[in-house]
Amino acid sequence: MSSLAVPVDTPSLLGVTIRRSTVVGKFFLVYSTVMSGFFGVILAVVSASAFSTSFPVILPIFGVAGSMGALSVFSSDRVKGTLEYFLAYGITARRLFTNVLIAAVVLVSIIVAVAVGVGVGLYVARGHSLSEDLLVRLGLYAIPMTYASASFATIVCMYWTALSSPRTGMNSPIGIAPIIGILPPVGVLVVASVLEATGAVSSFGVDVVAVLAMVGVAVTSLLLLAVSGRLLRSERLLSPA
Amino acid sequence: MLSLNQAGTKPVVEDRPPPGGTGVFCRSVSSGYLGSEVLRDISFSIEEPAVYVVLGPNGAGKTTLFRTLAGVLRPYRGEVRIGGIPVDQPASRHHLHYLSHLDGMPEGLTVREALEVYAQVEGANSTDVDRVLGLLEIRELADHFLSQLSAGQRKRASIGRIFLRDREIYLLDEPTANLDPKVAREIRTLILELARDKVILYSSHNLFEAREIGRYVLAIKGGRIEHFGRIEDLRGSRFVVGVRVLAPSEALADWPREGEYYTRELAGPDEVPALLRDLEARGVRIRELREMGNPLEDLFA
Repeated sequence: MSSLAVPVDTPSLLGVTIRRSTVVGKFFLVYSTVMSGFFGVILAVVSASAFSTSFPVILPIFGVAGSMGALSVFSSDRVKGTLEYFLAYGITARRLFTNVLIAAVVLVSIIVAVAVGVGVGLYVARGHSLSEDLLVRLGLYAIPMTYASASFATIVCMYWTALSSPRTGMNSPIGIAPIIGILPPVGVLVVASVLEATGAVSSFGVDVVAVLAMVGVAVTSLLLLAVSGRLLRSERLLSPA
Repeated sequence: MLSLNQAGTKPVVEDRPPPGGTGVFCRSVSSGYLGSEVLRDISFSIEEPAVYVVLGPNGAGKTTLFRTLAGVLRPYRGEVRIGGIPVDQPASRHHLHYLSHLDGMPEGLTVREALEVYAQVEGANSTDVDRVLGLLEIRELADHFLSQLSAGQRKRASIGRIFLRDREIYLLDEPTANLDPKVAREIRTLILELARDKVILYSSHNLFEAREIGRYVLAIKGGRIEHFGRIEDLRGSRFVVGVRVLAPSEALADWPREGEYYTRELAGPDEVPALLRDLEARGVRIRELREMGNPLEDLFA
C-alpha cells in the first residue's frame, strides 16, 4: 500500500467526465449526430434557401439532445453516491458542475462539427455560394445558440437534479432537459416569425434579436455556473441517507 | 465528552482534542440536512487503533455521523477534528478514507478505470490499482463495465478504493451491505487486517456482525450517543440461545418458544458448551443452536 504522503492537489476529473459522458450518452450522441447530419444533407440537396433558413433552426435542437450524456452522468453520480465520494475528497461542487458543463460542450462540438461539416460541405459541393446571410446565421446565431442552449439545459437541470429528490423517467430533470434546452431556439423562432410577419423590424433586426437572445442564454448559463458553489451547498448533492 | 481511558476499558470525560493530534474528535456536534437536526450534541474522542462499530437502528443518524466526520456535511454547531485537523480544512481529508453506504462507482467505466479514477483522487497509481484488483480477487472483472456487474460485485469493487492508499482513519458506512455472507466475511477479514494500526469506524445495524469485527461500540439512538464502550459490555447485558431440534423432545418441554426455537437465557457464551453436553446427554437431537437475544433490542427499545 502506498505511503501516507499527502496528495499535492485534487485532480480536475475533467477528462474522465467527458469520456463517461460519451459512454453513458452514446445513444443520444450518435442519434443526434446522425440526424443533424442527415437533415444537413437533405436541406443542402433541396435548395440553398431551405438550407439557409432551416439548418440554423435544426442544429440547436439536435445539439441539446446530443448533450444529454453529460447530465446523465451528473444525475447518476448523485443517486449512486459518486458525488458524495468526490466531495469527501475535497473536490468542490463548482468543479463538479463545471466538468459536466464542459463535457456537454464537448458533446455539442462533435455534433456541430459533423453536422456543419457535412451540411455546409454538401451545400458548397452542390455549387451554392456561402452568402453573408448564411455565414451570419451560422456563425453568430446557430452554432453559438447550439452551445448556449445545451449549456442552459445542462446547468438548469443540474440545479433541478440537486434541488429535487432523485427520480427517474420522463418526469425527472433528465427527461425534461431536452424541452428546457429547445425552449430558447424555439422561442427565438416564434419571435422572429412574429416580427417578420408583422414587419415590425427588418430582416437584419430579426438577426439582431436572435443573436441577443443567444447571448442572453449563454450569459445566464455562465452566471448559474458561477454561483453554483454558493447556491448549492454540498448536502444538496448527496443521495438519500 | 465520551472518550476511552488508556486501557480502552471504559468511557472517560474529556473536553479538549487529544494532545497527539490523531484520531477522531467530536465536541458538541449537531448536524443534519437543510437546517433539520439529525445528530444532536454528539461528543466523543477516539485515538486507539481498533474497529469501532457504530450501531443504531435505521434513521438513528449513523450515515449523518459519517458524512459529518468526512466533511461532506458541515455541522451546525460543535467541532470536528480528523487527525488533529479541523474537518473544514482540506488537509483533514488526507487522514481518512470514507466509504459511503452507496457504492459510489462512476458509471460509464470499467472496474479498472473506476479504480484508476479513485487512484487519481487519492494520489495512488496504476500499480496500486493492480494490487487492489488482486487483493479483492476481482482481476477477472477488471475490464467489465460497471453496468455489467451484480450489486455484490459492484460493492466489492467499490471497497477496493479504501485499499489504494494507507490512511490513519477509515469511515466505513455499512461496507458489507448487499454482499453474500462469504464475501462479507472476506471483506471483514480484510478490514480486520487493516485495523491493526488504524482507527476504523464501521457502521452496521447488525449486532452479530458488530461482535465479529468490533472491539468497541458506539451506539446511536435518535441522533444521540446511547452507549460508548467495549463491545463486551453489550454482550453481558443478556445472552439468549435458541435450539432448533430434529425431533420433539420432552427435555425441552418447559423451555420458552420463539418460532422454531426453544430458548434459554445463559450468563454468557462460556455456558454454551455445558448446555450442549447436557442436551446431548438427555437425548436431544440438535439441528441448530444460535444466539437469539439481541442486546440492541434492549438498548434501543
